[in-house]
Amino acid sequence: MNKDILLEIKNLHASVGEKEILKGVDLTIRRGEVHAVMGPNGAGKSTLGAVLAGRPDFTVTAGSICYAGQDLLALCPEERSWAGLFLSFQYPVEIPGVSITNFMKSAISARRKAQGLPELTPGEFLKLLKEKMAFVQMKGEFAKREVNVGFSGGEKKRNEIFQMAMLEPTLSILDETDSGLDVDALRIVAEGVNRLRTPETAAIVITHYQRLLEYIVPDVVHVLKDGRIVETGGRELVDRIEREGYESIHE
Amino acid sequence: MNSEVYVIGRDSVPQYLRLEAGEERTLTLIVPPGNGGRLVLEADLVGPGASLDLAGLYLCPGDERLDLRLLVRHTVGGCVSRQLFKGLVGGTARASFDGLVYVAQDAQKTQAYQENHTILLSETARVESRPQLEIYADDVQCSHGATTGYLNPEELFYLRSRGIPEAEARRLQMVAFLAPVLRRLPEPLIEEIHACLS
Repeated sequence: MNKDILLEIKNLHASVGEKEILKGVDLTIRRGEVHAVMGPNGAGKSTLGAVLAGRPDFTVTAGSICYAGQDLLALCPEERSWAGLFLSFQYPVEIPGVSITNFMKSAISARRKAQGLPELTPGEFLKLLKEKMAFVQMKGEFAKREVNVGFSGGEKKRNEIFQMAMLEPTLSILDETDSGLDVDALRIVAEGVNRLRTPETAAIVITHYQRLLEYIVPDVVHVLKDGRIVETGGRELVDRIEREGYESIHE
Repeated sequence: MNSEVYVIGRDSVPQYLRLEAGEERTLTLIVPPGNGGRLVLEADLVGPGASLDLAGLYLCPGDERLDLRLLVRHTVGGCVSRQLFKGLVGGTARASFDGLVYVAQDAQKTQAYQENHTILLSETARVESRPQLEIYADDVQCSHGATTGYLNPEELFYLRSRGIPEAEARRLQMVAFLAPVLRRLPEPLIEEIHACLS
């Protein structure tokens, strides 16, 4: 096994209810790489992200996912998070009554406990919180707000990137992070993602449009159609999709 | 405004309230785990400008049989009553909520609101919610609402995807659900309730 391989998906089939959505996905991602997964609506892009994060509504019916040498499918969602996997949601969920601060405090302390690290002191936690808020240009009162309640589309996505910065994932999956963003918010989000890029980490950028990929430049581009990856290439593939649409790309 | 808090099984809980003109009362009832039986509270708003703000929460995680009965009567106009009751019912517990708001024919300009929301924590828990309005005046603002459901699985997955263990994520969801009532309580009691949820 290549030591640099972070994620290896083999022949992945996944269903929701009776409906098969992923019909044999193969995907290998090495550390340091950014992969774009593009494709038309309904191709299964979001399902791929959800299955990687362990969303219980999806059933994996065949195939395997090896992440950092572990069987990812054997882990529950929180264990995947502790192992460094992060999904930025296309539709971040509102959690009335829970403040951003409490949400992140629970997340960070659970992860540190799982990793056998001591709890952060309140001072250390506050310092981390402030540093990461500045990272996505969020103001002071942001930490007191209820998670995603009354947030604009841009604020929700910035909140996702804020959480990503807090959790410093090894594998980030950005599910349509560009949808509903104006150019300024898009730039903040993309800068956040780019600054989190390291030689040890990797990212999967799921998107319908090429717009986000002007800001987050991928190393590898995949086209997902009807539950399968039908084409893999470099950045030039993005331009071809932009020019010719998804219709032109076949198996 | 003086806020009164009563914990069932510990405090002597009033069964009848009578609010005179301009009188304002804020009451919160807490039903901790292990308490069943019938709990009755009646209130009469008999003087203009009286205001009753009533809230409660009930925690029935085991085999409790709880029967909550509330009756609020607006006999004169220009009064306000608000009721907000929230409950968590699990195990094989049964909870019923009967809430009646009565607005007499002469009680114009009444404002009366009643809400009852319950989250079921198990498949075997049951709740019956019967909020009722009986209105004989024609110039009033009244509403009632009742919901019963389970903890939202989307929220749960979102919390878990950030590394919050399932049990802790559920606890956060419960705290969030109860928040509008918890806000009315003193800190030691909030902590006591938090401890009941784990």
